[in-house]
Amino acid sequence: MDKYSNREELIAALTEQAAPVHRVMPHQGALLIGFATLVAALVSIMIFDFWTGMITGQASGFFWITNGLLLVAGVASTLTLVASALPRVGAKSSGAWWSAAMLAVVPVAALIMLASVEATHDHSATAFADPTLWYWECAAYGMVAGLLVAIAAVLFLRRGAPVALERTGWLTGLAAGSLGSVAYGVTCPLDSIAHVGIVHIAPAAISAVLGRLVVPRLIRW
Amino acid sequence: MVADEPTLARLMMAAQKGDKPATNVLLSEVGLWLERYFRRRVPPHSIDDLVQDVLIAFYTKRATWDPDRPFLPWLAAIARYRWVDHLRRVYKHETKELMDDDAAQDSEEEVVMARVSLDRLFGQLPQKQAEAIELVKIAGLSISEAAEKTGQSESLVKVNIHRGLKKLAAMVEKAD
Repeated sequence: MDKYSNREELIAALTEQAAPVHRVMPHQGALLIGFATLVAALVSIMIFDFWTGMITGQASGFFWITNGLLLVAGVASTLTLVASALPRVGAKSSGAWWSAAMLAVVPVAALIMLASVEATHDHSATAFADPTLWYWECAAYGMVAGLLVAIAAVLFLRRGAPVALERTGWLTGLAAGSLGSVAYGVTCPLDSIAHVGIVHIAPAAISAVLGRLVVPRLIRW
Repeated sequence: MVADEPTLARLMMAAQKGDKPATNVLLSEVGLWLERYFRRRVPPHSIDDLVQDVLIAFYTKRATWDPDRPFLPWLAAIARYRWVDHLRRVYKHETKELMDDDAAQDSEEEVVMARVSLDRLFGQLPQKQAEAIELVKIAGLSISEAAEKTGQSESLVKVNIHRGLKKLAAMVEKAD
């Protein structure tokens, strides 16, 4: 935008350019992010195949609880972040943070369980030696899937006018990591609490930190 | 007399549809509202630049106003965002000067700007940080003079100014 010597000149120039605009609406952002999650899931299925254990009753309760909580955290952070694309004063929803706190219970529970098994010196149990605990490729795949969600979120936020950049950065990372992990999660047959509770939740935590560091500079206006 | 909320909202709805006369009136009214908003927040000589800056942001982001929501809180959020950005730029500039070790050569203009922007927030800073900012950025003392006067080392004075300014920017950003 050119620099104007006085306000009247600026107003005249802006008036001259006046044209109808398409309103930015939060549901557009939610749909875009939902679509990106769906695409991420379909691409994951094409590459890794759908885990049929989910429909044959093989999937453990831990699998359903963890992925359910990831989905809730992803949806809650998505709804909060698309609302934050419209400038407003006050009215900050804390729902996304509470859903993230609930999600954090799962890895804590998994660690306590593993530690208590170790403490019993039961050599028949695997605990920290459980090989699925160390299958961190799943976290990496979840984050790659989340990247697609993050791109969709950033594209929408750039159309909007977020005024709390750091908060929006956290939310974008949390939404991308949670939804990315769920999108990849439908292909993963490892369903122990050690694996889903730690490895599959890690992308949400790592992405939230990355989102805080990277997203604000992408959506500054 | 600045237009009231319902009038501004009506003008904004018309402006979103590309109505040029409504856009013109709206921009003038918003300019007056912003002038009043910034009068209590920044030094007089910065008001017009900031108003123009916000007018451009307001115009560019006009698609983000939802007619089902009140207009003025939306405008206030944009104004505050640009104001925080303005403060950041001022602080960044001042921090750079500190690193260059020539803080005592601040222009009068910057000292006045610091005074006006920081005054009301000083009470919320730790005493040592407020004291360091007050002496160097407002009273115009050099880092070594401020260090001597406060009994802090020169490095500590610099650190206190840097942290204090950063904290002030954060306070303004978080305040609703």
